Amino acid sequence: MTRDAISDVIIEIIKDIDEDADTATLASDKPLRDQLDLDSMDFLDIVMELRKRYKLQIPEEDYPQLATLDSCVNYLEPKLRDI
Amino acid sequence: MSGLAAAIRLARFGRRTIVLEKHTRLGGLNSFYYRQGRLFETGLHAMTNYAGPEDRSAPLNRLFRQLKLSRKAFQTHEQLGSEIRFPSQSLRFTNDFSCLSDEICAKFPNSANGLAKLTEFVKQYDPFSKRPWLSARQSLNAFIPDPLLIEMLLCPLMIYGNSQEDDMDLAQFVIMFQAVFLEGFFRPAGTIRDFLNLLQNHYQALGGEIRFKAGVDSLLVRDNQVFGVRLANGEEILAETVVSTIGAVGTMALLADSLSGEQDDYVGRLSFVESIYLLPQAAMPGIQHDATCIFFSDRDQFVYRRPLEPMDLEVGVINFPSNFQGLPSSDLVQVRVTHPANYEIFRQADLDAANGRSGQYLEMKKAWQERSLAKIGKKIGNFSQNIVYQDTFTPLTIERYSGKAAGAVYGSPLKVKDGLTRYRNLLLAGTDQGFLGIVGAMLSGVTIVNQHILTTSGPESG
Repeated sequence: MTRDAISDVIIEIIKDIDEDADTATLASDKPLRDQLDLDSMDFLDIVMELRKRYKLQIPEEDYPQLATLDSCVNYLEPKLRDI
Repeated sequence: MSGLAAAIRLARFGRRTIVLEKHTRLGGLNSFYYRQGRLFETGLHAMTNYAGPEDRSAPLNRLFRQLKLSRKAFQTHEQLGSEIRFPSQSLRFTNDFSCLSDEICAKFPNSANGLAKLTEFVKQYDPFSKRPWLSARQSLNAFIPDPLLIEMLLCPLMIYGNSQEDDMDLAQFVIMFQAVFLEGFFRPAGTIRDFLNLLQNHYQALGGEIRFKAGVDSLLVRDNQVFGVRLANGEEILAETVVSTIGAVGTMALLADSLSGEQDDYVGRLSFVESIYLLPQAAMPGIQHDATCIFFSDRDQFVYRRPLEPMDLEVGVINFPSNFQGLPSSDLVQVRVTHPANYEIFRQADLDAANGRSGQYLEMKKAWQERSLAKIGKKIGNFSQNIVYQDTFTPLTIERYSGKAAGAVYGSPLKVKDGLTRYRNLLLAGTDQGFLGIVGAMLSGVTIVNQHILTTSGPESG
């Protein structure tokens, strides 16, 4: 999966979690939680959705690596290389 | 409700899930029945935790996001306003907190500052962090100098959700203050049946399975682990995790050492008798009917405990289920009256009846319902001549239909806040985990699944 494709997947998941999420103006290097007003329960949904779709096990200690859109892509790129 | 929410949450992420419902209908305490072709709701007076769809972080909206239900498609009706009525003072509150704070400033000027500080304190307090029990009464003394106001604030919060006598845990007070005063009352459009259908259809569309008339007879245990359940019909269902939403007492009845202490420690002492009266709309102008709920105490010192007599008629709540904004009008309207009641006295009367002293239980129920009706007539105007249908349920009725031990609708005085039992894969969710009301019970199911099932790695089926 390309970096753009991974980024699209994350945005799609966020829109799926929150029907009102405004992802058009999202800055890719700023924390997702602050920009989209996501709480820890919403954040868990991103992790669970990735797990459901790609059988990806993301341990809790890695959650900080999913803070921004850029860091998500960096973290997921090697894991989703073959998809 | 908590079990259904937990199951939806798991099914959403592709986990194999089965809901085992003892009855032919979902909902537990919050269900419905039919009499004379008319639907009556059992538990619902009003839902707490009102929040508009725009308030993202409110419990109601978090719940809907977590369950992947559209909050915007969920139509709600807010309360008209409610009243706390004591012998020497009354207070009105709505879903706009400034109504209550203005009332308090006018009637209890010495406590105006304290109320502002208390409100700030409640907003900052995390009721789910691990802490020892703290007296809400004592904590309130530090904020509110008027003793009567403390009693009045406690009255609706205790009647609508406290499982302990006389006092409440500060954390429970915070949860209830937020749910009732800061957020407020509403009801869904339609009936509880429509809401249960919405949840059931959503769950089944996610691939979840429901079995009705499937009461659990025992838990299957090996090596200190639960690996499934045995149903009353002898069928065994294997499971990686079992979430029990039958309360602490019910869970211990299945597995005595699943929680610490004795089963009796978890039996709540507070139950209620509720009467439902159906009146023609035309009779309403004859009685006071501008409130959604009237919480009353005929003593300035509010007493909240199991009464020594069958019922405590000096304390209670009068609820008008049609008094929510924008509800379609109906030719018949309900008045529901609820008082604290003594489970043991009703149970004894029922035993006497079974032992040949016929009619004891029914006579007691009828005599006390009539006394209650006379009392309520003095408060809001007499309506007894206009009643076209009435029904009364006692602590025994509640126990029989909801499975709540001793008819204790708010469950155990001891809460299992982390939802954990002595068995790693047996979890507890619902009222005895510490959340209250429909929104609270459902959030309990969600939280237990998030904390103990989803975040632990395991196979994809569960």
